[in-house]
Amino acid sequence: MWTPLVFELFAEMWDYAFMRRAFVATTVLSASVAPVGAFLVLRRLSLAGEAMAHAITPGVVIGFVIAGLSVTSLLIGGLIAGVGVAILTAFLTRKTILRSDASLASLYLIALAAGIFILSAAGSAVPLKSFLFGSILGIDDASMMLVGGVATVTLISFAVLLRPLIVSTCDPVFFESQSQRPWIVEQAFMLLLVLNLLAAFKTLGTLMAVGLMILPATAARYWSSTITGQLVLGFALALASCWIGLTLSYVLPETPSGPGIVLVAGVFFLISAVIGPLGFGRRLRKSSDPHSNTVPTPLPVERTQ
Amino acid sequence: MTAIAEIRNVSLGYPGLTLFRGLNLDIEAGTTLAVLGSNGAGKSTFVKMLLGLLEPLTGRMTWPGGRPREVGYLAQMSEFDRRFPIRVRDLAGMGAWKGFGFWSGLDREGRNRVAAALDQAGVLELAERSLHTLSGGQLQRTLFARVILQDAPLILLDEPFAAVDQSSEAHLLGLIDSWRRQGRAVVLVVHDLSSVLDHCSHALLLGSGSATYGTVEDVLTPERLIAQGYLSKSQASWMLRSAQSNVDSARV
Repeated sequence: MWTPLVFELFAEMWDYAFMRRAFVATTVLSASVAPVGAFLVLRRLSLAGEAMAHAITPGVVIGFVIAGLSVTSLLIGGLIAGVGVAILTAFLTRKTILRSDASLASLYLIALAAGIFILSAAGSAVPLKSFLFGSILGIDDASMMLVGGVATVTLISFAVLLRPLIVSTCDPVFFESQSQRPWIVEQAFMLLLVLNLLAAFKTLGTLMAVGLMILPATAARYWSSTITGQLVLGFALALASCWIGLTLSYVLPETPSGPGIVLVAGVFFLISAVIGPLGFGRRLRKSSDPHSNTVPTPLPVERTQ
Repeated sequence: MTAIAEIRNVSLGYPGLTLFRGLNLDIEAGTTLAVLGSNGAGKSTFVKMLLGLLEPLTGRMTWPGGRPREVGYLAQMSEFDRRFPIRVRDLAGMGAWKGFGFWSGLDREGRNRVAAALDQAGVLELAERSLHTLSGGQLQRTLFARVILQDAPLILLDEPFAAVDQSSEAHLLGLIDSWRRQGRAVVLVVHDLSSVLDHCSHALLLGSGSATYGTVEDVLTPERLIAQGYLSKSQASWMLRSAQSNVDSARV
């Protein structure tokens, strides 16, 4: 009974060019943001990703004020702001007493305040809702090219950097001792983060851009004990979130697509936390198994510095 | 003996804080150098200098035969992410990654090398296990397997026995002895004097702003250990009584 209805719904959505574009854009975006999100989580930079999303705001706004809402202005403005904040954060961390989280928090707050200040000064000409929540259903050719270009750069970069990224994430001190220029991997990753935020910025908005990176990655973490599993499952969950979220926003026309996509990803996260083998599911299975007399192995205590 | 590294008149520390001055020593192939000192004396800082992560404040460190292509390194356990999603064999395999570059995976020979290293470290049966399921001792044995795969002429171990049980410590000390016999130089940061006395040929004692280097017998005297703040007087007299008792039992 349900299957024909679902096919009918998809056939109906597929008739609209804007829906076809949205599905294609989010599919490509999922492939791009999934590995970035996985390593953000593994490198304990989940909140840094959110901070960076806010840090690029002034660059995007200034780009908009100068050249209008074009992909070029978004890319140039966002890159300057994002890379600038990343470099300044690294500089403050190396040269002063502040750790990287405090340096980044200070700089992103300044950047965010500057962005909102400029946004307000620019007046009503700025499409505030589009900035906050994106406009995936109104994505144009240039934005499609941006998403495709960023995905290409990201996937090629990960093919080259995957091994050093794994070592530097798993054991940063060991990586630093074995590499002549360990900072290259760190800065390349931050550049990929900024690029992916900009690609997601147009489709999901500044508030939701990091959601599609982090939530599928954290959900995947509850299921997989390997990097490969983490990357594949993270992509699958990001893709499913996009497709279900887009369908929801089509069925419920008043709902914004960006938050819809991130909410679906949030549901995946909660389900994974409850039933995933590395979440509560591990304990539930152990306690319901009458033949089991072993206590679940506790996860190692989080290291402190 | 062949000097792998020569350290001349080195002062080490950070801007505004000199940890010790006037260090002269050679790190020679086929020796095990114990680095001892109280907390904050500069033990890990000394290891960082050997790794090239920190420049001396004064003096110089040179590599007479050129810097080794590989320097085996094991950091303190507290600096390691034990929740990282990786299997035991892959973590150990990191030691050989430099040999096969960015792209290619381990070939049959590489896989055999990883298996042999895990076997030597006593964790071959754990090869497919995830990291977060390991005990402290099992993890440290896996990291020793990674050091084996680095196949380095100089090996730096920073407090490798801090979180391991006695049997693991004995096994790992056996590995360190085998490395010395193979002609590698081992630098071992430790707190436990007993492991130093039995397994190290030389000692570097840091503390009270100075650095004392020599053979274990010359450096680790109660007077020096007290003078450089490593032991209190009561601890030193207990150590002397214990050593005397060992000598007496050996005579009997």
